[in-house]
Amino acid sequence: MESEVNGILVAAHELKAPLNLLRQLAFSLDEDPDNTKNIQSKMIQVTDRAIRQVNDLTKIAHLDREIFEIEPIAVRSVCTDVSDELRQLFRFNHRSLNLDYANRSRLVVANRDLLYSIVYNFCLNAMHYSEHDSFATLSLHDRRSFVRLSVRDFGPTLPSDIWQCLKTGWIKKPVSISMRPGSSGLGLYIASKFSQYMNLNLGAIRHRDGTTFFVDLPVSRQKVLFI
Amino acid sequence: MIHIIDDDVIMSECIANFVKPRPVHAFTNAIDAISALNDEIPDLIFLDILLDGPNGFTYLNEIASYTETKKIPVVIITSMQLPSNLGPYGVVKILDKSTMTPADIRALAEEYS
Repeated sequence: MESEVNGILVAAHELKAPLNLLRQLAFSLDEDPDNTKNIQSKMIQVTDRAIRQVNDLTKIAHLDREIFEIEPIAVRSVCTDVSDELRQLFRFNHRSLNLDYANRSRLVVANRDLLYSIVYNFCLNAMHYSEHDSFATLSLHDRRSFVRLSVRDFGPTLPSDIWQCLKTGWIKKPVSISMRPGSSGLGLYIASKFSQYMNLNLGAIRHRDGTTFFVDLPVSRQKVLFI
Repeated sequence: MIHIIDDDVIMSECIANFVKPRPVHAFTNAIDAISALNDEIPDLIFLDILLDGPNGFTYLNEIASYTETKKIPVVIITSMQLPSNLGPYGVVKILDKSTMTPADIRALAEEYS
């Protein structure tokens, strides 16, 4: 019961911020009628992020039903799609997202939808916690039996207790990341739940000037048919 | 001059829009905002509490500790429930982000800048 209430509180907290923003943007439409197009595009941006978060929470509720098929997927295309979706948002927040693919386009075994959410949450987190005018890097590196997908940010480093928690397994409930204020840890919790479902190794590397979150994706033995 | 300190750029832009035509400087973190006080002393500060890095309370402590800055009126804009006795830190008003209106912000800007 306690964890259920905690989960509801975290979700409520996360959804309050975009609702507050939408409210102020709605006022702005009246205040600044010459800037309607720009304000509308911000409203859509804020709404899209909130909807994605609600969708992720809904997916968590449906994980038990095992409706998310695990199959060979092209991880590079997932990363490219996420970066295309977030590029404008990064630019708007005076940050940039770099891509670093040291990957031979090997297929990995995962669910595309859930993996997309993991990469999206990693990148969004990196954008939020990177410093002004800095960048985050989304990387793909081949290992022998898996592909490591990682997102490096330059901001406050991950507290050691959360890092330890990730080292020993998946995050069991949303936890406030105290050195990253404003964070309820919901994005990390979502990534953790989806990784657990797909049986992926999720982890983090602490740097003096930021954090790298990564997930290891097992390579599919199916031949690559497309890039 | 009004300083706006909020890690959400869109929220800062909304507030800047509401206080037009007054000049504003917006900051996304407390460190940059504190550094900027070396160059200019604003007439009014709109301050969010949950910021990346040092939070709004750190900022409040910092400005309350210097004679040049301790009298700057501060308006807190937040979704958090805060104690109302923050007067010693220069806080003249706490606005709830979920209920505040452009008129609230404009009235404070008119009163203090």
